[in-house]
Amino acid sequence: MMNVLLKNATIVDSTNKNLHLKKRDILVKNGVIDKIASKITPPNKTKIIDYKNLHVSLGWFDSSVSFGEPGYEERETIENGLKTAARSGFTDIVLNPNTNPVPDSSSDIVFLKNTAKYSVNNLHPLGTLTAKGEGKHLAEMFDMKNAGAVGFYDFKRSIENSNLLKIALQYAQNFDGLVHSFPMDTKIAGKGVVNEGEVSTKMGLKGIPVLAEELQIARDIFILEYTGGKLHIPTISTTNSVKLIADAKKKGLDVSCSVAIHNLFMIDASLEEYDTNCKVMPPLRTKKDIKALIKGVKEGVIDFVCSDHIPMNIEEKRVEFDNATDGSLGLETTFGILNQIFDLEKSIELLTRGRERYQLQTPVFKEGEIACLTLFNPEEEFTFTKEEIVSTSNNSMYLGKLIKGRVFGVICNNQILI
Amino acid sequence: MSELSVKHLLGIKYLNEKDIQLIFETADHFKEVINRSIKKVPSLRDITIANIFFENSTRTKLSFELAEKRLSADVINFSAGQSSVKKGETLIDTVNNILSMKVDMVVMRHPNPGAGIFLSKHVNASIVNAGDGAHEHPTQALLDSYSIREKLGDVAGKNVVIVGDILHSRVALSNIFALKLQGANVKVCGPKTLLPKHVESLGVEVETDLRKALNWCDVANMLRIQNERLDISYFPTTREYTQQFGVNRTLLESLNKEIVIMHPGPINRGVEITSDVADSNQSIILNQVENGVAIRMAVIYLLASKIK
Repeated sequence: MMNVLLKNATIVDSTNKNLHLKKRDILVKNGVIDKIASKITPPNKTKIIDYKNLHVSLGWFDSSVSFGEPGYEERETIENGLKTAARSGFTDIVLNPNTNPVPDSSSDIVFLKNTAKYSVNNLHPLGTLTAKGEGKHLAEMFDMKNAGAVGFYDFKRSIENSNLLKIALQYAQNFDGLVHSFPMDTKIAGKGVVNEGEVSTKMGLKGIPVLAEELQIARDIFILEYTGGKLHIPTISTTNSVKLIADAKKKGLDVSCSVAIHNLFMIDASLEEYDTNCKVMPPLRTKKDIKALIKGVKEGVIDFVCSDHIPMNIEEKRVEFDNATDGSLGLETTFGILNQIFDLEKSIELLTRGRERYQLQTPVFKEGEIACLTLFNPEEEFTFTKEEIVSTSNNSMYLGKLIKGRVFGVICNNQILI
Repeated sequence: MSELSVKHLLGIKYLNEKDIQLIFETADHFKEVINRSIKKVPSLRDITIANIFFENSTRTKLSFELAEKRLSADVINFSAGQSSVKKGETLIDTVNNILSMKVDMVVMRHPNPGAGIFLSKHVNASIVNAGDGAHEHPTQALLDSYSIREKLGDVAGKNVVIVGDILHSRVALSNIFALKLQGANVKVCGPKTLLPKHVESLGVEVETDLRKALNWCDVANMLRIQNERLDISYFPTTREYTQQFGVNRTLLESLNKEIVIMHPGPINRGVEITSDVADSNQSIILNQVENGVAIRMAVIYLLASKIK
């Protein structure tokens, strides 16, 4: 990469009191932060970035992203998926095992890592917890971890067998593996497709009671208390789930959790037009849940706000609501929504924290450190339209919604994408 | 001339009170027509209607077809069993194929809630919802209210209890919307397992004691237990269901007043109501069926006038 000079950029890094919210010129040379100063004269052959209201932070991290390759390339490829992530500000993403076949062996993990090798941003794959993701026998977690898997997850599939979760949590301790458990009791959830409540009643759609999620989390915490180990509960969505996890953390259990950005912003009433882009799992809940979840994020009970980005081709979405596949795009809009819920400092903290949970290195904003940066303008407001979508698929629940904050791109891996 | 506020009949919740009154007034006229010796009017000679049924139906389909024919519309029928749906064709493609044969209106029954709404956004025809999953069955609710109006003079202020499987019932949901819109008081009654947990958010009260419910009401609308929709036993046996929620002659006679009995059909005689109740003077079940044709004629006529 040629040298890059960021002109007059506002640095957002609340961990760095000297630089936080200061305007600086930043020179990146050979992928390293060479100099941070009030005014830098660019050396020869330097690309100068001098955007209006340019802000810069450490590169953003997303703990839950799906593409489609291999098997569902019509939804998204790894190459374009990573490009979408980069244009949305993410230098590091955790990739869900949402492919066909699922990554359940070290060679599958190697394939994912190799395909992403030359990208501007970093792909950190999850392997499945069980062979073929079928929920029956453990997958080769140790081998996958050595190949680069950062955790283990049967994507959006509940571990119905309590003993299997017990064994997984015990087994993964030998190599410090992070076990994921999707919070849903499938028997209670039944054939539900939306949150059980006033909206599901009015719409005649089968509801998923909050009980389904909370029961599973309560079970998981009991098992974790017995086994020890590291448990991550991805995408919680209810008021009581926050309370259950807060209590478990107070007890000192090694549990973390995330919430999908749409569960902080959209409510089940958005479904009154049967918009299949709003069909997600866990489902959109109520204002009361949003309030509790936001509080949980602020208090640190919820470790991650993730995009839960799931590209889906139109054939899976332009159908009757019951028959539509779950998922919405999220990468492109995560910052612009987060920035409306929290202040800028909190938004950037949420987007940059938590890598250590996946045993990934956290970048540092300092001269001489590797440049892993996101460039953005937090003030620009616009309506999100199809033209803003970088993904191969178009299934965004935010189409027509107001977005606050424009991402320019990222500098990472000695490359720049803006 | 007044007209409906909507282009499609997708559900009662998309109508206003004036729409309902207009449909009733139009149905009054058509009810008189179907009791003449020549039961037909030439109103819709230039309209073609497709009845598309992705779910089994006997009476609703017959009722719609008869209503369409008595308005002199051209009618084609299509059911999923004999179609390419089973070969993997999407709903939009199926309907667009039919529409390209110059069809103006689609009457559709479909197992998925919201299917009619989905279709109305993607095809160019007037859609009449003849039942979409557990969502709505608007013409049934209209004919039910129309029958109450005919029997008791008015719907406003009347106490109506809907008894049975409310959880899986589009008839219940549409009836709740229609009755509330017209100012009736509504209770639902049935085993807790068959009442939606949040049903009270619709502005109705829950009563699990049938005798109390019947003593309160002017009209009892008895729903059928839809065994085909139950994926698990919501009650132990139909025998035990009948003991708690079946209406028989003795129960009716022990009430402090004479109430009206309704049923959308088909009846499971001996389960939700006994034969002597179904066939009694208090029952208006067959009036409902007759009114069904008049109501459907009114709906189709009013929607067709918006096409023109």
